[in-house]
Formats: sequence, structure tokens, C-alpha cells
Amino acid sequence: MKKRLSMLFSVLMILSTLASCASDSKESSKNASEAGTSSAATSDVSATPTADEPGWKSNTDPVTFDWYINFSWYKPAESTTMISKYLKEKTGVSINFIVPAGNEKEKLNTMIAGGSLPDMVTISATEDSIRQIIEADLVYSLNDLADEYDPYFYEVADKEVLDWYAQPDGKTYGYNNSYAVSSDYKEKPETIETQQTFLVRKDMYEALGKPDMRTPEGFLKALEDAKAMYPEVNGQPLIPFALHEFSDTGNYSLDDFLQNFLAISKVDADNKLIDRREDPEYLTWLKTLRTANEKGLISSDIFIDKRAQIDEKVAQGRYFAMLYQKSDVVSGQAARNLEDPNSVYIAVDGMFNSNLDQPKLNGTSITGWTQSLITKNCENPDRAIQLFTYWISDEGQRDLYLGKEGESWDMVDGKEVMKPELKELLVNDRDEHDKIVGMDPLWMLRIDTKIHQWKPEKADYLKQMDDWTIGKSINYAAFDNIAPPTDSEQGIVDTKIKQAWGLALPKLILAESEEEFDSLFQDFVKTKTDLGYDKLMEYEQAKYEENLKKLPAQE
Amino acid sequence: MNWVKVRRKLIDQKYLLLMVIPGIIWMLIFNYTPMYGIIIAFKDYKITKPISEAEWVGLKHVIEFFKDERFFLILKNTLGISFLKLIIGFPLPILFAIMLNEVKHNRFKKVVQTISYLPHFLSWVVLGGIMITWLSESGLLNELLLSMGLIKEAIPFIAKSEYFWGVVIVSDIWKELGWNAIIYLAAISGIDQSMYEAATVDGAGRLRKIWNITLPSIAGTITILLILAVGNMMNSNFDQIFVLKNTLNADASDVIDIFVYRMGIQSGRFSFATAAGLFKSLTAVVLLVSTNTIVKKINNTSLF
Repeated sequence: MKKRLSMLFSVLMILSTLASCASDSKESSKNASEAGTSSAATSDVSATPTADEPGWKSNTDPVTFDWYINFSWYKPAESTTMISKYLKEKTGVSINFIVPAGNEKEKLNTMIAGGSLPDMVTISATEDSIRQIIEADLVYSLNDLADEYDPYFYEVADKEVLDWYAQPDGKTYGYNNSYAVSSDYKEKPETIETQQTFLVRKDMYEALGKPDMRTPEGFLKALEDAKAMYPEVNGQPLIPFALHEFSDTGNYSLDDFLQNFLAISKVDADNKLIDRREDPEYLTWLKTLRTANEKGLISSDIFIDKRAQIDEKVAQGRYFAMLYQKSDVVSGQAARNLEDPNSVYIAVDGMFNSNLDQPKLNGTSITGWTQSLITKNCENPDRAIQLFTYWISDEGQRDLYLGKEGESWDMVDGKEVMKPELKELLVNDRDEHDKIVGMDPLWMLRIDTKIHQWKPEKADYLKQMDDWTIGKSINYAAFDNIAPPTDSEQGIVDTKIKQAWGLALPKLILAESEEEFDSLFQDFVKTKTDLGYDKLMEYEQAKYEENLKKLPAQE
Repeated sequence: MNWVKVRRKLIDQKYLLLMVIPGIIWMLIFNYTPMYGIIIAFKDYKITKPISEAEWVGLKHVIEFFKDERFFLILKNTLGISFLKLIIGFPLPILFAIMLNEVKHNRFKKVVQTISYLPHFLSWVVLGGIMITWLSESGLLNELLLSMGLIKEAIPFIAKSEYFWGVVIVSDIWKELGWNAIIYLAAISGIDQSMYEAATVDGAGRLRKIWNITLPSIAGTITILLILAVGNMMNSNFDQIFVLKNTLNADASDVIDIFVYRMGIQSGRFSFATAAGLFKSLTAVVLLVSTNTIVKKINNTSLF
């Protein structure tokens, strides 16, 4: 027995050493290959750049860029897709995407600290890391690169965007995607998107006689009726109301989202920022949710479920109503539609303020979604800025969205039309479409207002949600990026307040009485003040006023 | 001891020593080199600049950690969970090993042993996901309890702070019971059988033999493991708590490790997080040394 045990131990020890060796070597060989792939060809700088011709036309030698995407869910564009091949054929550029395997921040911070950032990086535009890498001088300014290698950049880049992201030194370091400039709001309102919707399951909603869910009373009654009429969905209890997942810092649905639905202004009459959490309309609705919980209409699942479980429940149709982003239910909707087209989720009016004003939702703004930057580790900054110029231009937008003319689309009556079989594939099997055409994964510098004209018609159940949002978007650009740097004094206050709110919010909803709710909320307000809320507001107010100056006057 | 003797001994054991080298290198690289980074606990470190350029700030971050409004809560949770795990979770594997040792049916013994340490091989990420489903209001456990009439309405086990400690302690014991018993089984199998024979001749029963032979024989092993377990008290199983925590049980699930993760990785306050981590390690050293001293005084066995 003893012998056998000691053998077992030695085997285990050997195994564990081997395992660690194996993972080490994998890591190092990956690093080696990463280092090897960057930039085969050095470019020819002798051609003098002019503002008349895009720089990418002068040099189409093969070049490879390593491009880091700071989203672990991102599925990279394969080099074998039609669009990737066309990009290489036309400009010589191939892109090798690097995606974090686990926590994005961990990977990005390691690369920053280790000085191993790849050629380009794409980071969420509101992320504090952008400020850090700019301040640490780890990225090129687009102005410097454009001046030196590709003045044509200024012809295609939106001045409004460059101004918006200009740093104190007057230079702009990154270019963003999915943004809308002020003229878009006036000239192309149909291209402005918002994701914020109030959704209900169509068949249930109709069976209940399309109740008015705009008021707290109507909302509660509808949830109650739905629960009474459909206690179970496929043998499992119905969840009357669902939200985005609860996080350490609160709940997206119940913070910005609900406040926008209630059309609460972010500033008071004197143009001073206010805390929308303290608005009476907002508190009324939180109290409504508390009442809902008291009546057994809030399932504890909604506090615990993460995105994966929520997706699954949407696909199963377990929710009656949700305050949820429409873009996040697309795959669930497809599953519902397949099972029964009548059981999809539809966007309806719900959770309005006492005036029944239309919601004021987050529209696409100048801030956009992500920013892409060229790092100082890039060996071919000339080719990198040329790639940016190409991609941002109308030609590049079309090429990298639709692909090559004649291969993936044709010109019919002066309009670009996708090949019917590929269009069908796009609607029915997105994954396969991504593998063959590769349209979806190339969004790093995609400008939605520009590609809107080429977007194929969506399926009815998705279009319904889109249609509901039209005209309800507001340009909140002035309030973007006003949060203090996370490692500054105000930033720490900000984080602490957010975390205090993250703890308080579920307790408010679960409070057993209205009095308990009030005292819990007072506690939060006190905590907030003690932590230094005023200092935070002072900072954000100053930033907001700066923003107002940067933005063209709004009407 | 003179040098000649030492040298001869070294030469005699050269193969053994060679085998030690990889372990030492591993420790140097992965345990000692990173210790250099601890100094950022006393500096204002920003990831964009090398550690050496960061400004010294003394105990600023440590003091800030002590002043943090959640400091006492996380300390209470860390020590509370660990202490209960120790009190309940430490004796059980010993009991289990002794009971298993008394089973004479060999096949049955092996089957039980295998089943008992199977959960050890599941990672907490997998097991935690399963547990969240099992413990939810419409989950397996609630349905079982409801159908047996033990409870009237479903209990949201992981959605309430008051159940959280129970959940982590019970699940941890269940997962590690069999695995932790292995070392005791090994110790028991090393006991000289003639002692048992002599005891049988003297007319000792089973319990008497366990009390007077088995337990004293494995006392050394138990002591060493106890010292290690106490030293480990500040480590509340990060994986487990990370998977099982949520906003509803945050008041019972916030432990030092989670706090360090939240401050360091999520909020990017590296210096502050390192200070908190350093506090944890130092407390662990104090616990380890003091238990060692106490145990040494009592029964003369010790780690060092």
C-alpha cells in the first residue's frame, strides 16, 4: 500500500511538472511566431506623399500587421475570407488578429507593462487604458503619421472626430468606429441607432390584450397577469421580468438605460450635472420593482444569471418582459422564430415617466464604440496609417463591408447589391457567412452611418425592434468620456461609489417595505457623499463643459 | 561535521541532488523573482512606467487598505470561512481515513475511495456552474427538499448572504474529503501491524485499537497538516468563491482574495492591491509561525 501510494505521488508530481512545461513551451512558441509574423517587407519611402492621392496606392508590397482586439469574445477574421483576400490583393495588407483568451484588462495591462503591444490595438472608446497608453507615449499620433506619410488621411477622416479626440497637445492618437457626427443626426436620421429597448414576448403580450405597460400600475398588472396566465414555459416557471446581468457596479438596465427610458435629463436647468439616481421618477420605478418583488414577480435568477444563462432563457422564451439591448437578443430571437414566429420578442412602449414622455435613448454618438491606435512597436507606421486612410475612405468602407465587386456583390442600377446566395447565407447562417465572406469581423474602423446604405433588409422580427427605436435616440456625446482616470483621486472615488451602488441596488429591490427602501437609499446617498461625491462631480462638470466647447453647437 | 564528510555525502547523493535542481530553479523563477514586485506596495506604480521609476510613498496604500470601508467585512469573511473550514473540514478526512481503513472488504473500500476523491478532479469553474443550477430556486436540491416535505418553499441558497458560508464550506468539504484522506491512509498503512496483533492478544477491541494505536501513530502527520492548514487560513479558496459569488451574497462572499482581484485586475489599482495581498501573506506567516511554536511546546512535533 505504502509503495503504491508513493508511486502514485511521484507520478502525479511528474505529471504536474510536465504539464507546466508544456504550457510554458506553448506560450513561448506562440510569442516567437507572433514576433516572426510582423512585417516581412520594409517599405519604400522614397515616393513623396501628396494630399491628392491616397498613400496606399503607392505601395502595395505584402505586409502583415498584428492587431490586438481588446474583447475576449471577438472571433477574428480569417485570412481565407473573400474580404481578407481582397484587402491583401488590393493593398498588400494582411492582418493577424490577437484576441485575449481570458480577462481583457489582464492581457492589455500585461502588454502595456511588458512593452509588448502589437502593431495596432483596438480598445473600447471609453476605456481608461487609451489615456494611459497615450500618456506613456506608446502610440503614434495620427497627425504625425499623416503629415509624414499620408496627407490624404485628412481628406477622408472626419474633422469632427479628430477634434473630439484631440489630446491636450492638439493631436489625435486614435480613430474610432460606429460613430455619428452631428450632421448625421440632421441628414441621415435613419442611420442613427440605439440598442435600448423594452421587449415583451409577442404571443403572451397579445393574449393579455396588449396591456399598457408605460405606467407603474399597468406594468405591475401586466406582469401579474402574465404570471397567472402562463405560470410555466415548457415545464419551467415563467420569469415575468428580466434585466441585464447584475455586476459589481450595478445593473446596466437599471442605471443609464431606465433613466433614459424615463427621459430624465442629465443636467439641471443651470446646465449642471445631476445624479439621475435621485430623480423622483426613477425612484418611483425602482419602488415599483420592489413592489413587484413583494408580489413574487421578480425571480432571484435575474440577480444571479450571467450573460450565458440569460441568452439561454431568451432562446427558451422564459421571460415575459425585459429591459434589454436589442442587439443582445439576436441569436435568441432566431431560436424563438424557428420554434414559433409568434413567440418572438417585440419592442413596445414600457416603463415611461409619469408624463408619458417618449424615451430619450442613447443614440450613436461621436464617441463611437471602439478606438484603434497605432503603437510605437509598429515597424511600418507608414503602411499602418495608409491602411487607416484606406479603410476610413468611402472606397475602403465599401470594400471591407461588401468585398470585391463581381465576387460578393454586383452593381445593379447604380446600387450595390449582394449576391443573393450570400445574402441568404447572411440571414440564415451568420457563422458560415463570416467564414466565407468575413464581413462581420471587420468592424475596427467601420462607420455605420456610411455602410447603412448597403445593409441587407433584416428579418421581420429584428426589424420590428429597429423600427420602434426610430426617432427615440438622443445625442449624448457631451456626456461621453467625462469619467476621471481610474487611478486618480476622483477615479478611486468614482469606483468606490459605483461599487457601493452595485451593493445597494439589489438590496433596494429586495427591500421588504417602502420604509426599508427609503432608509437603504438614504444610506447610499450618505455613503456617496462621505466618499467624496462632490469632488467627482466637480471633475465631471469641468470635463462636460470642455466637451461642450469641442462639439459643434447642437440645435 | 567536517568538510570531507560533507563532500562525501554530497557525492553519494549526487543523483538525488540533481533531481532537486529543477525544483529549485522553478522556485527561484516563479516564487522568488516575482517577490521583487512586492515593492510596488510601497510605491505609486503605474503600468506604463517601470517599477524602478515609480515614486516611493511608504505605507500609504497599507493604511488606505486598513481604512477601507470594507476592510473589516472582508477580514471577517476570510477568517470566518477559513476557520469554519478548518474546524469542520480538518477532522473529517481523518475520520474518513480511519473508517476506510477499518473496512475489510477490499473491493468496497476501493470503490468508496475512488468515488470520494473524484470531485477533487473537477475544476471549480465547472463544479461551480453545476452548483449554481442545483442550488437555484427551481434547482435539484430545492425540488428534493420540497418533495420530501422538509421545507415549505424553495430556498435561494446562493442568492442570500446567510447561506453563503454554509454553501462554500459544505461544498469544499465534499469536494476535498477523499483527496485529503489519502495522506492519512498512507500514514495509517505505515503502522506496524504487529502492534495491532499484540493489542488483539491483549483483548483490545476495535475502538480501543483506533484510539491507542492508529491515532497516536498518525499524530505526527496530523500535526504537520494542521500547521499547514492554519498557515493557509488567509487563503480562502479563490476559484470557489469567485465562481459562487454574486451581488446578492456579496456581504458574505467578499474575501481578501476577491478584494485584491477586484482592486488590482479590475480597477487597475496595482499598488493598493499589492499592499492588501502583502497584508494577507504577512498575517499568514504570523499564523504559521505561532501555530508551529504552540504545537512544538505541546507535543514536540513541528514543521521547522
